[in-house]
Amino acid sequence: MFNDRTLATSKAMAEAREADYQRIVEKFGNQAPAQARHPETHSGLPIKTAYFPHDVAHIDYEAIGAPGQYPFTRGNLAAQYQLMNWANQPVIGYGLPEDTRARMDLLAEQGMVGYFGQRFYNLVYDLVSHEGLDPDHPAARGRIGQCGMAVYSKSDMARLFDGMDLTKMNVVHITYYQVIPALAQYIAYAEDQGVGPGDLRGNSMNWYHQSAYVGMSAFPPDQGLKLAAALINFCAGHMPRWNTTNFFGYGVEEAGGSAIQEIGLMLAFGIELVRACEAMGLSADQALPRFGFQIAQANDFFEEVCKIRALRRVWATTMAEKFGAKDPRSMHVRIHTHTSGACLTARQPLVNLIRTTLHAFGAALSGTQAMEVSAYDEALSIPTKEAATLALRVQQVIQEETNITAVSDPLAGSYYVEALTDQMCNAALEFVERIETQGGYIAAQRSGWIRREIEGSAERWREMVNAGQRKVVGLNCYETDEEPRENIFKVDAEVERVAVERLEALRKSRDSAAHGKAMASFGKAAADFAAATVEDLNASALIEAAIEAARADATTGELMGAMKETMGWAAPHEY
Amino acid sequence: MPDPVRVLLAKPTHDCHDRGVRYVAKKMRDAGFEVIFTNFLLPSEIVDTAVEEDVQVVGVSSSSGGHLPVFEDLIAGLKENGLDDVVLIGGGVIPRDDEETLKASGVAAIFGPGTTAEDAIALIRERVAGSSVGRAPVEGAA
Repeated sequence: MFNDRTLATSKAMAEAREADYQRIVEKFGNQAPAQARHPETHSGLPIKTAYFPHDVAHIDYEAIGAPGQYPFTRGNLAAQYQLMNWANQPVIGYGLPEDTRARMDLLAEQGMVGYFGQRFYNLVYDLVSHEGLDPDHPAARGRIGQCGMAVYSKSDMARLFDGMDLTKMNVVHITYYQVIPALAQYIAYAEDQGVGPGDLRGNSMNWYHQSAYVGMSAFPPDQGLKLAAALINFCAGHMPRWNTTNFFGYGVEEAGGSAIQEIGLMLAFGIELVRACEAMGLSADQALPRFGFQIAQANDFFEEVCKIRALRRVWATTMAEKFGAKDPRSMHVRIHTHTSGACLTARQPLVNLIRTTLHAFGAALSGTQAMEVSAYDEALSIPTKEAATLALRVQQVIQEETNITAVSDPLAGSYYVEALTDQMCNAALEFVERIETQGGYIAAQRSGWIRREIEGSAERWREMVNAGQRKVVGLNCYETDEEPRENIFKVDAEVERVAVERLEALRKSRDSAAHGKAMASFGKAAADFAAATVEDLNASALIEAAIEAARADATTGELMGAMKETMGWAAPHEY
Repeated sequence: MPDPVRVLLAKPTHDCHDRGVRYVAKKMRDAGFEVIFTNFLLPSEIVDTAVEEDVQVVGVSSSSGGHLPVFEDLIAGLKENGLDDVVLIGGGVIPRDDEETLKASGVAAIFGPGTTAEDAIALIRERVAGSSVGRAPVEGAA
């Protein structure tokens, strides 16, 4: 990128500066912080204390490229935020469907908006649904409407979306492994409104891969991979506007993984998933264009920015080189940023607003497509109305007041940013190679390797915090004696009673013959699915049977029950 | 040398926030305790495991709510099985009000944000007879 004269000058200046720097460090003697002598990123990558042109001279300019051009390091599209802001996608969901709807309406009134004025709703299901149960199950007590909405059937969908035009909005269904039941119920409800699946926009998480690093009960990894590939296959044929899969990098970071592990694992799983899709007969360009990523934005400001730029580059080059992807959309990393929850503290909770603002600012500078900013009270409870609104305001201040939206990829060309982006690409590719040599993501999950890697990273972080090497304001420095916060959000105790009553009423009122027949078909489809290999899977049979059952008012617990019985279900560390 | 303290740590199956409890499990093992880690759907599963494994301490980690009914059933179940002397502890995201309620019903301590694995280890050494002379001493332990 530079001519010889510039490079020679760069090196000479760097050497002079380094000598000067060392002289200053020596003055501090033993008092010099470790980070001044051997600086590193939060992932542990070694960095320098200043960067020069020769630090980026080895990088092909083509690898950096232009916004909207392969390998998309600088962004998916030529236009970043000049014509359209990123979408506001705060996570919403608690209590009864009506409670969640009230929060959706409140945030919409406060200016929460998707692309070109469209409504985006990022909705999370409750703990009972995540477990694949119904609210009358003995284990549901205390979990109903907690951390998500109590939605278990087509009729609950009707309570949630009453009066809304489904064709004019985008709905993300944040499920864990109840992906197919929730989607089936949404499709069945939409049909009642005269809207076909082909006209629905939104997202299924398709998150089976997260059982490698998230400790909730799950389907066995090989069944999860088939379920993920089957949904992609079904949507390719029936739901062209639906985003089929979300790569849950955020969960890696929350579990204690590093930035390198986060993007490395997403790429490793991407390779595994595209292979599975190919085995089912889909080409890369049929499978890939509807993938999305949920990526954490955590504390190391520049590393987190470069992480996103690096992910865009390694994803595009891998999908093009390994799978022959040609459609630019197949190579795009479309990112939903989730500002890190694990970085937030229960102590001095208002300080979290400062942290989330920095996270959101970094995400905006790196060119994210959508954003959830954590509320400042999330370490304490489900966000209050006030906290949820302030979290939205963080996005709005950055969008409207800072003018960073005028220029695409504004940090490009910084010697540090380009050098670190390149370094992270290499580190992530090495991490992927370590997984590939074990036989791929599923093999590395089965052996426990992925979990051990993440736990090692989590432990390293905790030990550094304990030793004061990693500072957390209010926790291991600048502590105060503070009174416990009064304003803790609690879900109304009535929610449990009402949810159970509604379920009982549904079971009584539905056409039991139609329901029984549909559930029998679904059970058979689930058994066939469980027994099939990915090559001879009938991709649509299971999902079509689920939709038929959802039309007959099948509940999440009933559908998941049939899937668990045939496919297996256990704590992930038992696989 | 006395037998090592036996600790059962349990996490609800639905609760993805297991980073903390798995770290605590490791630190307790490092401290010389025998630690059994399980996920549970129903509190009765914790009671069954506590009986089978003959543990002296049961710890429940909860970071997604729903802890009050779990402890309620757990305390009743332990009592029914004659395990009243088991030291019961909790951790995770448990609001201050609930912490008071739980302590009043017999939970020895709640280790929430700002506490350390060493705090929990110290409490166990204090409460479980004979454990203070257990294996590898831990810095900061009583």
